[in-house]
Amino acid sequence: MIRQSLLVVNNLGLHARAAAKLVRLASSFASEIYLSREDASQQIDSKSILGVLMLAAKKGTRLVVSVEGHDEAEAVEAIRRLFESRFGEEM
Amino acid sequence: MAAKTEIVFRGNGVSPGVVLGQALKIDSHNRLILRVHVDDVEAEAQRYLRAVENSKEQLRTLKYRLEEKVGREHSVILDAHLLMLEDRSFNSEVLSSIRNDSANAEWAVTRATDRLVVAYKSLDDEYFRERHSDIEYVAERILLNLSGDHPLSWDYLSQDLIIASHDFNPSNFATMDLTKVRGLVLESGGRNSHTAIISRGLRLPAVMGLQDFLESVATGDSLLLDGDAGLVIVNPSPGRIDAVRGRLDAFSAISESSSSAHGGRTTMTKDGAPVSLRANTELLHELETAKSCGAEGIGLFRSEFLYFGHPRGLPSMEEQLAAYGRLASEMSPYKVAIRTLDAGSEKISHMSTRDSFEGEDNPSMGLRGIRLSLHAQATFRTQIEAVLRASVEGTIEIVLPMVSTVEEVWQAKAIIQEEGAKLKRAGLQLPPVPLGVMIEVPAAVLSLETLAREVDFLCVGTNDLIQYMLAVDRGNPHVAYLYQPLHPSVLQCLHRVAAVAAKLEKPVRICGEISSNPFFAVLLLGMGFNQLSMNPLSIPTIRRVLREVPLDLSKRIARRALKLPTAYEVHRYITASIAELISWDLTSFANEIAAPNGLSRT
Repeated sequence: MIRQSLLVVNNLGLHARAAAKLVRLASSFASEIYLSREDASQQIDSKSILGVLMLAAKKGTRLVVSVEGHDEAEAVEAIRRLFESRFGEEM
Repeated sequence: MAAKTEIVFRGNGVSPGVVLGQALKIDSHNRLILRVHVDDVEAEAQRYLRAVENSKEQLRTLKYRLEEKVGREHSVILDAHLLMLEDRSFNSEVLSSIRNDSANAEWAVTRATDRLVVAYKSLDDEYFRERHSDIEYVAERILLNLSGDHPLSWDYLSQDLIIASHDFNPSNFATMDLTKVRGLVLESGGRNSHTAIISRGLRLPAVMGLQDFLESVATGDSLLLDGDAGLVIVNPSPGRIDAVRGRLDAFSAISESSSSAHGGRTTMTKDGAPVSLRANTELLHELETAKSCGAEGIGLFRSEFLYFGHPRGLPSMEEQLAAYGRLASEMSPYKVAIRTLDAGSEKISHMSTRDSFEGEDNPSMGLRGIRLSLHAQATFRTQIEAVLRASVEGTIEIVLPMVSTVEEVWQAKAIIQEEGAKLKRAGLQLPPVPLGVMIEVPAAVLSLETLAREVDFLCVGTNDLIQYMLAVDRGNPHVAYLYQPLHPSVLQCLHRVAAVAAKLEKPVRICGEISSNPFFAVLLLGMGFNQLSMNPLSIPTIRRVLREVPLDLSKRIARRALKLPTAYEVHRYITASIAELISWDLTSFANEIAAPNGLSRT
């Protein structure tokens, strides 16, 4: 299992469009991928948009992703890149 | 299992009687989300998954259309909605409640949605908090697809339901199986609301104005409703029930005797003169309501509702035959009057008229009713063929709308005869189908003798007649105050119709919402109308009113009302003189037909 800290850097945060991108990306991996806010213990399934939106993650929120499965390394890497690319949001 | 805690609620008893039953909660959209025990859970799970698939299909189409119109940027929310439909945690919660609790899909979806909505509403950030509306939207779509697939049936429900809701629109009564409803409990509402009045008419005990009631009650909880004392007891103890046992039994005995009177369906004035109360309907599911309210037939079936929104534009002969046949057979031995298509061409797509024409400036005086039928004869002939074929199923009558000249009656009769002859040549044995005309244009009132000799009966369409008589569009706020059902000219018109019909011995019936007003109903009775057709839910109220009024007294009231110079004076006179005869409060009905005093003599 891999755990990694992620920072929401895009202006709009994990709003509907960003959440949709994250869910689609997560769903393309076989691994189980969970997210939680760093300040809370509750984990949500990152393949569930209802869960991701429930994180209410605005810009500056710190999240922790936990991934477990045979493609966990690729999954973490792809998710990290999605956060860093600001979910494709224009500056 | 330990006995559930008894909770006592105090409100306003707005309709008397004591009943014991099971709570049935209605949601904020006034929709029934019922918990039903499902036997074949796998089939129910498949039904849910089908509804989800259909919802996805619809959203994809919507998304595609939206992208064509406004570009990809704006379709993103639909993307989120699609993902919600694929959400595995939501789907697995719904499926496990279907599979493990044998719940119906509607219940399972609603429960899962409610839980999420509560969680989202507690979020601090406004943007994320607002996402609850997206969840509700998606759930609504699934429910819609579930209802199209297999409408939830009242058949599953128990026989002793007490409806519990925040508020309640009177039209909700129309969608219920009233034979299973024993009482009504509302958080809002009061004694003079229409729902309260209809409840009294239906002899349905009701208590309103109970704060925070819904939080403390679940569907299926036992309720003791005391409409006399304004009390509702959730989970009543055996001792509590025993204490009112005598009143419970007495009320149920009264209900049974009055429902057997419904079965006989007769209405009599206080001095024993018979009055026939029939139902105006437009949809087939209203038949149940019409029957349970004791309608003596369908006085007016507005057939245009088979045409509105029809997927192929016009209903086929077979579709119409099935609808009219069902009407006739279910109402048998009572009569069913089918009014031929009464709509302007603008309402009907695919209408094949001989020449295409542009939109009309003034559709209410344009090509509508019988005018449109004679203009688009193929459509009219299809409808007539269906009505004639359906006549073997019961007793059917045809009514022609918007007639303004006798030539229209001649032409329509010729077509009806031709269609009848065709069917006879094809070997069908059909009973005679009586023909009537709607009297709703002032010209028809003035040439009533001529028209009446051509037909078997007359129907007065008071809604349109008042509007055409007074030259007032009731939808126009500048002149709405002039829409006065009690205007002396309207009363003179109605008086003339009653007199001519009596002289020529033609049955005549009032088919307008005005007859559902108790004061107007008594006035009509006094003028000589003994057939009234109305919204079926008003029938029990009007029946109760007429039973308290002697015919000769209603005649005296009508004679005097006909001499008064303004609607205001008519209103003041009839409300005072009729209220005196009735043992219960009719104030809200008096307001319904109130006329302004702004034009009084100086």
